[in-house]
Amino acid sequence: MLSTRRGLFALGALSALALTAGPRSALGGVTVTSRKSGPPGDVLVSIFLRGGVDGLSMVVPHADDAYYKNRPTIALGRPNDTRLALKDRVQDLDGYFGLHPALTPLMPLYAAGQLAVIHACGSGDQTRSHFEAMATMERGVSADTGPASGWLARHLETAPWHNSSPLRAVSLGTILPQSLRGASNVTALTTLADLRLQSPFGGGTGRFEDSLRHLYTHDALAEAGQEALSVLKTLNQLPASPVLTKHSSYPADDLGNGLRQVAQLIKSEVGLEAACLDQGGYDTHVAQGTSAGILAGRLESLGKSLAAFAADLGPERWGRTTVVVLSEFGRRVAENSGLGTDHGRGGAMLLLGGKSVAGGKVHGLWPGLAPEHLDGPGDLKVTTDYRNVLADVISMRLKNPNTAEIFPGLNASSLGAVHG
Amino acid sequence: MKTTRREILALGAAGMAASLLTGCETLEQRLTAATLPENALPPPNLPVHSPVVRLLNRAAYGPRPGDIAYVTRLGIAGYVAEQLAPETLAEEPILALRLRSLADTLNPDTGTLFDMDDHRVVEALREATLLRAVYSRRQLSERMVEFWTDHFNIYAFKGQGPQLKVVDDHATIRSHALGKFRDLLGASAQSAAMLGYLDNTANMKGIPNENYARELMELHTLGVHGGYTQRDVKEVARCFSGWTFENHWHRGRFRFKADMHDDGPKCVLGVSLPAGGGVKDGERVLDILAAHPATAEHLARKLCTHFLGETSDSWTRRLAAIFTASDGDIKPILLELLTSADLLSAKPILKRPLDFAVSSLRALNADTDGGVGVQRHLESMGQALYAWPMPDGFPEAAHFWTGALIPRWNFALALSGSRAENTRLDLPALTGAGKKSGLTPHDTLLEFAFSCSPQDPALSGLRALTPQYPNLAEYTAVVLMSPAFQWH
Repeated sequence: MLSTRRGLFALGALSALALTAGPRSALGGVTVTSRKSGPPGDVLVSIFLRGGVDGLSMVVPHADDAYYKNRPTIALGRPNDTRLALKDRVQDLDGYFGLHPALTPLMPLYAAGQLAVIHACGSGDQTRSHFEAMATMERGVSADTGPASGWLARHLETAPWHNSSPLRAVSLGTILPQSLRGASNVTALTTLADLRLQSPFGGGTGRFEDSLRHLYTHDALAEAGQEALSVLKTLNQLPASPVLTKHSSYPADDLGNGLRQVAQLIKSEVGLEAACLDQGGYDTHVAQGTSAGILAGRLESLGKSLAAFAADLGPERWGRTTVVVLSEFGRRVAENSGLGTDHGRGGAMLLLGGKSVAGGKVHGLWPGLAPEHLDGPGDLKVTTDYRNVLADVISMRLKNPNTAEIFPGLNASSLGAVHG
Repeated sequence: MKTTRREILALGAAGMAASLLTGCETLEQRLTAATLPENALPPPNLPVHSPVVRLLNRAAYGPRPGDIAYVTRLGIAGYVAEQLAPETLAEEPILALRLRSLADTLNPDTGTLFDMDDHRVVEALREATLLRAVYSRRQLSERMVEFWTDHFNIYAFKGQGPQLKVVDDHATIRSHALGKFRDLLGASAQSAAMLGYLDNTANMKGIPNENYARELMELHTLGVHGGYTQRDVKEVARCFSGWTFENHWHRGRFRFKADMHDDGPKCVLGVSLPAGGGVKDGERVLDILAAHPATAEHLARKLCTHFLGETSDSWTRRLAAIFTASDGDIKPILLELLTSADLLSAKPILKRPLDFAVSSLRALNADTDGGVGVQRHLESMGQALYAWPMPDGFPEAAHFWTGALIPRWNFALALSGSRAENTRLDLPALTGAGKKSGLTPHDTLLEFAFSCSPQDPALSGLRALTPQYPNLAEYTAVVLMSPAFQWH
């Protein structure tokens, strides 16, 4: 992590900032973030759907006949197909697209203008490899070239404000995602309880923390060690039973528990700016199912978790939160023989927030599913660079103007999916 | 060490620390792992990261008491040679005994295996792996098992994964960990766990399923920039159509279903495969991939990074040449890496959680059943075995792991404070060994933990804390929590 961070600085990714705002240490005097004041913009929650979610099932082009032609067994029913039970039909969004029925819990947010969809969205990655496509998207680049650090890390490192909170950026799960690679103050956790020292010896943990403070000073783990100690200190200062949520509507799975922890951190006002979560299981090569099945199960958890999160935060905090949901690629338009779908290109991205999104709308240029419009072996074309969505979120909601450094080489073009 | 440990066993070192496991109690008591061998302490005045210690840190899961003296006697070349012939090394009786209690659950005869509870099966496999990593004398083999388990990663919680992963661990990974790559690759390609995990069971004539074909080239052989195309992915998938496994009689055994195989002509990486190849199509693809220069380079780079912490073009070329000349033999590559001067000069590597836990248990001669007391911590540290969902295996680079130090510290506290179930340290036995050499208990602990002189400047910070921790167990926790112990 350290060498990467040094690499980021050495690459001059910050040179523009350095010229305009002086060295980073001087920024400390500009704005001091206390526990209660926080950064100027929204809290960002980034949810990565691992494995390549089938965008055509998540947000279904139900008015496109080619969709049904390509998917004789796994297509989801039209909203007005009265031969089907309601639970087997998509939830109509705009007469052309509809949400997967398992995402029904998100319909109230869509109706309230708090959920926007960006369709036919993705990166320039052509390998259709999970790992390449994920690395591309988490690095915030269009293909193989560009900085090795993560886009979220570059946002945090170029933000023109100072936030020394050790819980400024968290990742749920113990492995740090590449989007945070190169950032200082990143903490991984599965539950907040993991972030407390549990000593079997009497007399508290203060002595151990003091000793560790002295020991973690000079090797390559010094910074990570000091960050962990600050986390311990911050959490020790929280009331014993913090604003523990009584919200019971979170699903009892990793994503539900993760978002519950994020909501707790937001309510505790510990300086959280960015949280990364993963949901796996989207690599549906086989038996992905329709209104029920593997994919429906994942999406049901996604929809319920997000709806619970919005409700748990309440209007005021939800109004200062932006959620982005992305995945490394979409999947092939035609179903395969295993009643699943193979790796594709364009997919759908979701944006949510109490005030942040131009919701109630499916954004982006729809390329269509006719054979002559498909990409490579039969995939939805990418008509929107996912980075343009993220750039709008970063500049308009997070209030960091340095998107040119965060996404070098991006042909910037605002999509209008984000409110200023 | 071999003779020494045998002698101790022959002497019947009863009355040492009591056994933790129930059953076979008399045997267990005599075989307790906490017995310290002769020459338990490393020789005095050893500098930090001496050649022998570096070798034991990279070729093994760190030194156990007595290992330094043992390897010093054999010499580095002698030790590596011995490790490359694991079948000649008699196993520790304690390991055999503890594995025996897991044998019923882990019997790779899938007939009985499938009657076992999913959760218990994975638990038992995790226990066996941890026990072997801690106690096996075939340390390099265990290291390579970990390497290949990541390289051919299988998420054990999909479908019949728990049982099938047990078979895969035995028949694919362990059987070929130090063998020829083509054999390993072939076993993996016919492993029911892999065929299920990467959906090849759904790969049929008509519209092929690409999942296995893609990862086979991207991860297992050529590497993502190894020169294959989307078309190759489709063609390779056709070659493996019909590769599946038995689901009823002989459950889990490989089966080629000819009626599901696409028997038309194919072209893979520029090589034409005539129609009618049947099961030979897939075997032919494995031949092509295993012999491909991109595979040699991909594996050279991964193995070099694994053992030296970094790689260079010259190392990649060197190892790839050995791989090619030896027809894909793993052993000469390991020999080259482990006997090279670069092993000593290479940068330290951040221990992954498994390495951190196992090296703690080995250094301090812990007595463990390998069970939930340790596994629970592996999970919160981020390395729950057989639970990495993506086919690329647990990451190796340090930056993936630095965000979760607090769970490591909690493991150190639990182990030192005897709070990890069925896992114990015998600190009096350790300090007793130091007493004979005139060492204080705290210095003895430092020597066991780092296998170097406690006066080494690298340990000055830890040594200065001695007066603050009169309780040796608490000091042990600090030592294991320290940054110095996170690297190897």
